[in-house]
Amino acid sequence: MALHLNLLHEEILQQRQRQRDPLKIGMMVLGILGSVMVAYYMWNAYKTLEIRNRLSQAQHEWAKDEPKVTAAQKRSAELNGIISTTKVLDGMIESRFYWGPVLEKLSKCVALNAQLTSVDGAVQDEGKITLTVEGLAAGREPRAAAEELRQLLLEQLGQSYNSVKVEFKSLEDLDTIVNISGASMAMARFTIGATFATSAAKPAAPPAARTRTREPQS
Amino acid sequence: MKQVQIKLTKDQIQKLLLSGMGFIVLLYVYFSFFLGPLNSSRDSMLHQISDLQAKVAGSKNETAKTANLEKQAVAATTRFAALKALSPEGAPIAWFPPRVRTFFASNEIDKATARMETSSPFKEKDLENWTRYSWIIDLPQADFSTLGKAVAALENNEPLLSINRINIKALPEDPQFQQIVLNASTAMVKR
Repeated sequence: MALHLNLLHEEILQQRQRQRDPLKIGMMVLGILGSVMVAYYMWNAYKTLEIRNRLSQAQHEWAKDEPKVTAAQKRSAELNGIISTTKVLDGMIESRFYWGPVLEKLSKCVALNAQLTSVDGAVQDEGKITLTVEGLAAGREPRAAAEELRQLLLEQLGQSYNSVKVEFKSLEDLDTIVNISGASMAMARFTIGATFATSAAKPAAPPAARTRTREPQS
Repeated sequence: MKQVQIKLTKDQIQKLLLSGMGFIVLLYVYFSFFLGPLNSSRDSMLHQISDLQAKVAGSKNETAKTANLEKQAVAATTRFAALKALSPEGAPIAWFPPRVRTFFASNEIDKATARMETSSPFKEKDLENWTRYSWIIDLPQADFSTLGKAVAALENNEPLLSINRINIKALPEDPQFQQIVLNASTAMVKR
């Protein structure tokens, strides 16, 4: 085996050490990684720019539509308000109580030998109606004439309303005698209270002409 | 197989550590100041785009719905306008009593007077632009038949008026005629 002498041993070692310099290798790795990262960043930036374009398009489209939508929403809210207000008002109109039909029925109940001196009617809560009728009845049996009026009133109100109650609050004979068609008749004063529910009340024709009333003679 | 043994000098170890730290700093700077903000900006823009697209799609629906509603609400709008027209401009106390007087006069009942009792807002939210007015209407003299016709006509002509109480008394000097007091309430638009 031939003897081989390396006279440049130190120089070669230094060269190898320079090549293996960790800082240099690290800088190279950092450089490669940095390049990859920059490339990735650029790619992302490109994508972001693309998205920004899409956003500006969408914003432009929305800017065109927004006034129309705002106007449509405003109009829609207004229309909904009108519809609901009209519904509530219609409900109020439908649920109100009509006195015209009651007066008509009352006029049908008063015979020639009866006279009403006072009528007081009121709409109570929960759709109840109260009616107080005061008057005078004349006849051979004035109480029977008053009872006839009460029966008629019950019958008339019962045709249109629910839960009808018609009762005498007072019924008293009077000393006064009246002359009807040449015949002297006794008189009675009555107060009738009526209550009924409004459910079936509907606007109707105005009352028929009242039958003639006569003046009591004292 | 020959095993390569790398012996690092102290200087080399220091340089390696320096490179490692540089790498970590590079990663931190890259993600915190470059890629992170870019990604968050992109996400925010994507979110905005989806919001806007939803709004645009919704706007088309909204416009169509309003057009549809407009068609459906024709009857309600006409009815509402008619009900609103029952309340003329001005304070009700100024125009309601003359209107009542004219109405009853045209129904053969003279000297009708109306005075305002109270006014209060409605409890219903839908009627926040409306006010309830209570009136006392005095009819000093009318016969029963005329009164009935007039009351029926009033109820039919004034849909927003409801009579809450009616008091009829025969006139002592002329029982053919009655004196009437009506308690009525009306709904009127706030002006």
